Amino acid sequence: MKSPSNEIRRARPLLGTLVEIGAVGENATAAIEAAFREIEIIHRLMSFHETDSDVSRLNRAPPATQLEVDPRTYEVLSWARRISILSHGTFDITVGGKLVAAGFLPKPEDAEWPSQEASFHDLSLLSDNRVLLNRPAWIDLGGIAKGYAVDRAAATLKRNGVDSGMVNAGGDLYVFGVPQPIHIRHPEDASRLFSLGILTDAAVASSSGCFTERRDDDGGVADPLIDPRRNTPMRWQQSITVVAPHCLVADALTKVVRLAPRRAAKILPQFGAQAIIIDRRGVRGIAPPARRRSCGTPPWLTRARMQEMI
Amino acid sequence: MRTAQWTWLPAACLPVAVISIPAYAATYLTVEQAQQAIFPGEKLAPANITLTNEQAREIERRSDANVRRKDIKLWKVANGGYFIVDEVVGKHEFITYAVGLNADGTVKQIEILTYRESYGYEVRNADWRAQFVGKNAAAPLKLNKDIKNISGATLSCRHIADGVKRILATYEVALK
Repeated sequence: MKSPSNEIRRARPLLGTLVEIGAVGENATAAIEAAFREIEIIHRLMSFHETDSDVSRLNRAPPATQLEVDPRTYEVLSWARRISILSHGTFDITVGGKLVAAGFLPKPEDAEWPSQEASFHDLSLLSDNRVLLNRPAWIDLGGIAKGYAVDRAAATLKRNGVDSGMVNAGGDLYVFGVPQPIHIRHPEDASRLFSLGILTDAAVASSSGCFTERRDDDGGVADPLIDPRRNTPMRWQQSITVVAPHCLVADALTKVVRLAPRRAAKILPQFGAQAIIIDRRGVRGIAPPARRRSCGTPPWLTRARMQEMI
Repeated sequence: MRTAQWTWLPAACLPVAVISIPAYAATYLTVEQAQQAIFPGEKLAPANITLTNEQAREIERRSDANVRRKDIKLWKVANGGYFIVDEVVGKHEFITYAVGLNADGTVKQIEILTYRESYGYEVRNADWRAQFVGKNAAAPLKLNKDIKNISGATLSCRHIADGVKRILATYEVALK
């Protein structure tokens, strides 16, 4: 199926990638503009690099200092905490220090080096959008904020009267309204695409080492995903795709699937999510267990469709 | 496994749904549409310039980015701002984009005009790139028209960031 012919699409460089927004409707141009503006705000709030972002303020703050953050930052921190707890710390936003040490992020100025023991447990979420870090830790929302920005942009489109649209931030995307075909890239050959089917009201996030890789000194491939249990950048040659009702969830869960696939199989259904893993050995799927289908296999990627793919 | 459905298939059984695209293209705006998007209702006058060798060297020194072409596609806005169309070439991608500058030389807005990627030799080939000049959404390429939503394309916009740095240096050196 094609996207509607009267769809308007725009693209801008944001969030360190190309963000593409499409919308159908009379108000599409203004709605797209508003959606880009929302993404700019999320970028400003949650950037590790920008010194006045909520994230940088938090990373600079002396331990045990209460800070008020934007409600949006607070929402992302709350989701991150929930996913950290469910994944037993596999997903952890306090990996900033390790990413800096590995050379993926620049060292923040005026910030105390984080404690080696820092983990998501050290971030307390208080009332009225106030948060505090119990010991020095550097928070990086790189694994979740892009998905959130996509969700917020899609919500902005809807609020502006768009009933069919899509937001794609460098591979993390959300489609709503008229169902649209979605493709996933092969992790080792960008010219090969897998058809994920025709989806709507669904988010798709992919995490793939192939396009962001950095050669290690010893020839291995590392990428900016830290395994908190080993404190080292991951090495891999596969792509993980998560389909979920929200892009924030899809974005964050790609990391959990990659680092802890067995645990991910238990966590995915709690968010109504499914995963597709592609590597040189083939394609694997993680779908909700059969006996829980009464809870509802999400309609956007049916079991039959999964079977067809794999 | 009890809690989840896991299925493994060897590479030989890859889904029929695999398709191969040697190139991918997206068009967003024509130059005129981008002018209206960035400077709605404003009058823009063409004001192309050609950089001298000295200016090009100074821009490279300031921006740490290569000046590949000395001809700058430039429009002057009645209110004092500038509209510049530029292109960047990556390993696999070729992107044309427009930058609107405020009268004080700060970035007002950036819009992508066209995005092309190719996994052959084409991106580095000037003839291949030339065929896209003037293409727009109203005259879309037939190429992969239905492939629009790709996940896993973690494309860096570093080349665009470098391009914008170069444009800001161009403003300082040649326009200010």
